[in-house]
Amino acid sequence: MKRRLAYLLSFLLVLTLTLSACGQKTTTTAGGADVIKIGWMGSLSGDQAVWGQCEFDTVKMLIEETNAKGGLLGKTLQVVGYDTKGDPQEAVNVAKRLTGEDKVVAILGPNASGSAIPIASVLEAAKVPDIATVATNPKVTVMDGKVKPYNFRVCFIDPYQGAVVAGYAIDILKAKNAAILYDVGDDYSQGLTQFFEEYFVKKGGKIVAKEGFKTGDVDFRPQLSKIKATNPDVIFMPYFFKEVALSANQARELDIKATLLGGDGWPSEQLISMAKAAVEGAYFANHLDFDDPEVQDFKARYKAKYNKDVELNGYLVHDAFLLLVDSINRAGAADSQKIRDALETASITGITGKINIGKDTHNPEGKDAAIIKIIDGKYVFQQKYAAE
Amino acid sequence: MTQFFQQFINGLSIGSVYALMAVGYSLVYSIMNFSNFSHGGVIMFGAYFGYFLLTIYKLPFSVAFIGAALLTALMAVVIERVAYTPLRERKAPYLYFIISAMGASIFLENIIIATIGPTFRTYPEIFSKTPFKLGVLSVGRLDVLMFVTSAICLALLIYIIEYTKIGKAIRATAYNIKASALMGVNTNVIIIIVFALGGFLAGIAGVMFGMKYTVYPQIGAITLKSFIAAVFGGLGSLQGAVVGSILLGIIETFTAGYLSSQYRDLIAFALLIGVLVVRPMGLMGKATEDKA
Amino acid sequence: MNTYIEGILILAGINLMAVLGLSLLTGFTGLFSFGHAGFMAIGGYTSAMLSVKFNCPFIPAVLAGGLVASFFSMIIGKLTLNLKGDYFCIATLGFGEAIRLILDNVQYFGGARGWPGIPNSTNIWNVLAFNIIAVLFLANLIRSRHGRNLIAIREEELASQVIGINVFKHKMISLMISAAYAGIAGGLMAHYMTFLQPKMFSLVKSTELTIIVIFGGLGSISGSVLGALILTALPEFLRSVSQWRLVFYGLAVIFIMISRPEGLMGGYELTPSSLKKLLIRFKNRSQGKVKGLEGGNK
Repeated sequence: MKRRLAYLLSFLLVLTLTLSACGQKTTTTAGGADVIKIGWMGSLSGDQAVWGQCEFDTVKMLIEETNAKGGLLGKTLQVVGYDTKGDPQEAVNVAKRLTGEDKVVAILGPNASGSAIPIASVLEAAKVPDIATVATNPKVTVMDGKVKPYNFRVCFIDPYQGAVVAGYAIDILKAKNAAILYDVGDDYSQGLTQFFEEYFVKKGGKIVAKEGFKTGDVDFRPQLSKIKATNPDVIFMPYFFKEVALSANQARELDIKATLLGGDGWPSEQLISMAKAAVEGAYFANHLDFDDPEVQDFKARYKAKYNKDVELNGYLVHDAFLLLVDSINRAGAADSQKIRDALETASITGITGKINIGKDTHNPEGKDAAIIKIIDGKYVFQQKYAAE
Repeated sequence: MTQFFQQFINGLSIGSVYALMAVGYSLVYSIMNFSNFSHGGVIMFGAYFGYFLLTIYKLPFSVAFIGAALLTALMAVVIERVAYTPLRERKAPYLYFIISAMGASIFLENIIIATIGPTFRTYPEIFSKTPFKLGVLSVGRLDVLMFVTSAICLALLIYIIEYTKIGKAIRATAYNIKASALMGVNTNVIIIIVFALGGFLAGIAGVMFGMKYTVYPQIGAITLKSFIAAVFGGLGSLQGAVVGSILLGIIETFTAGYLSSQYRDLIAFALLIGVLVVRPMGLMGKATEDKA
Repeated sequence: MNTYIEGILILAGINLMAVLGLSLLTGFTGLFSFGHAGFMAIGGYTSAMLSVKFNCPFIPAVLAGGLVASFFSMIIGKLTLNLKGDYFCIATLGFGEAIRLILDNVQYFGGARGWPGIPNSTNIWNVLAFNIIAVLFLANLIRSRHGRNLIAIREEELASQVIGINVFKHKMISLMISAAYAGIAGGLMAHYMTFLQPKMFSLVKSTELTIIVIFGGLGSISGSVLGALILTALPEFLRSVSQWRLVFYGLAVIFIMISRPEGLMGGYELTPSSLKKLLIRFKNRSQGKVKGLEGGNK
């Protein structure tokens, strides 16, 4: 027995050592003073891995490109990225590791609000700024009326998005009765639901059904059957594409004919491959028009490098990167505190639109939403739409 | 009233998927007296087997279906050999089996994430998504197929257990493993057969689950519901597992349909606790005697 | 100290707190629980509520969390402690999940979206203090009459009953203390993460705690301590191979179960005197080995 224990222990020890050694190699190849380290965090596993992977790939590509052009402030850029698994607790651990162990000057990501909110205290303690990509919850940057000093973002926020979809449904689609199916376990979904409901009712519409499900659920037929009985004009589905695909398919199976509406959790190649027929004719609010000439160059570069299509997060992390590079340039030094100060006054033109960071909100102010309709399995831009 | 029947159909269809998974738990429990938590991982592998047979090897659906079930059966037996046989030989307490099963389930889920990737995959569209219509009610084609397949498989299984010689040996082993061994039953073989049967059904459940809800590494988590169904019906009883599953499916849909969808899972777990407190042997289980 | 390392140590300390409780229940009383994350959740939310909504100081808030968790465990115990074998463990599983699902629906605590903005009061020193007190208390408890009764119940429940040990009562006390430990761990966790979300306390967390106890060795406090330290730190060291780490973790669990089910320490304790004994034995044996080798060479 003693010998077995010894084997076991040495096995584990060797495993740990080799693995941590392997890992170290990839992250610290170009150590030294000539390097600016940028952190990235996001989901590389779990439901949102498609997006996280695309973000990380985009950051890696942009850093390569920047380095090929001579780097930044005469130094080479380097990215250190870790998986948050979409789990808040993991996100805190990752933020600690990035700031404490890897000593990055700034962090890009995470994409989920649930992960972006709890890392604030880590960032404040380490005085390292973070630019979230698609974390649209208001609390990511502002909490109890006070702006969080080290949290920034490049996307519009939930109230705005919810209001845009509600306004569009009433003004343009002439909808009167709306049903909502939403994810009670998800901050993003709850936020959109709340503001959609408020705005829709304010504009004279009626919410006839509001049904919840929990993250990880796969069967929505009980809720959809209930929604069907109320006969709505539109069904708002503010959650991510996998559940959208499943619930849209199930809605059509139950013979529900209402127009489907959604938010920026929708756009993905996967949605079309899973539910092409079911989401035909649906509308959703997005951060940009995918066919805009401004974004074609980036799309082509990404496709050439990875032989995959860019997912939504790629565009936003692209702009987050631009914003960071701009701020590092204006700060004139790879110093977290100076970068933070520069971020507060940043104003750039990204591929998702103009990004003017508000000093009191740390959000990009006045960003328009793009309304997209799904026609023949393609995302077709309808119009820019702003809620009052 | 329309909604009532529609919800009833929804419940039946969800229940029939639970049933296929739940019998796997019950089969193993009846012989080895432990909750085999690696079953969820095995079902997930079944879904992936089916997916790859269909997309990469482009096999016809029926061949892929049976092929996936056979591969999954093999997989279940391998897990038994690796993770449980050493414990069995040592006569370890049941809790070691549970922990080993949980280790296996963590391993299975993450080996998929590490090798194939965490993203979900969609089965090719084999059956049209346009529903059958019964007046105002509608039933998905896939749901009908799932219900029929479940019914056939479960009937076959119950036939095997109740009316064949192997079934008799399985029942004897379930009743008293030591005595059966003394009476000439090769209990090792019986255990392998039981795992293979459970695995076969898990493969079928996995493929159908994948067709309906896509394939992803965390499928195993859903099978917790079917575990509850098995406990509800009475762990160790096949008929109980089926009845428990159908009931759970219907109770869940009615909770979501008439109470609030937020309470759907809560009701399932409340039911679990309630059953354990009032009648631990479940609806159809035999009273467990104290083996201490 | 490096904040990252400090963070891991704090997490290990928080895990250890819950693991110690579970160790009493599982290792010394022989009852398995898959619902301890539920007790952690109760402790965490209670203490967070006290400190956020009622401005209660940190230590009383955390202790109150433990008390409330303990109270809930009493109700659960009344209902389920008479269940045999697998069924108690399934009941705790159902209970743990039910707690999480209820919290998902309590909007007062932020529901499933989580609850940010809890004061950051947990630090390495108070975690350490809590752990030291917890270990000392547990060690004394186990050496007391109550502790010996528990071990008797673990070994032979029927016989213990026959010689007049009130099995139900002892199991209940054990469960309540164990839940209190988990509740305190939850409180520490709340004030370390500054954010609570019901999904932090899922079945996976309960399983993780049980695995730590088994890994460390049933019936050994020092085993639990080592287990908590190693198993919390291991995934962090393996972070660079992120996708493979849980694969190894799962394999390691099976490997331990089939090759060394008594865990790292297997009922032994690491105390100064036992260390000395071990050293002496080790010396003797290595000398013996050297002699043996020489003999072989001739």
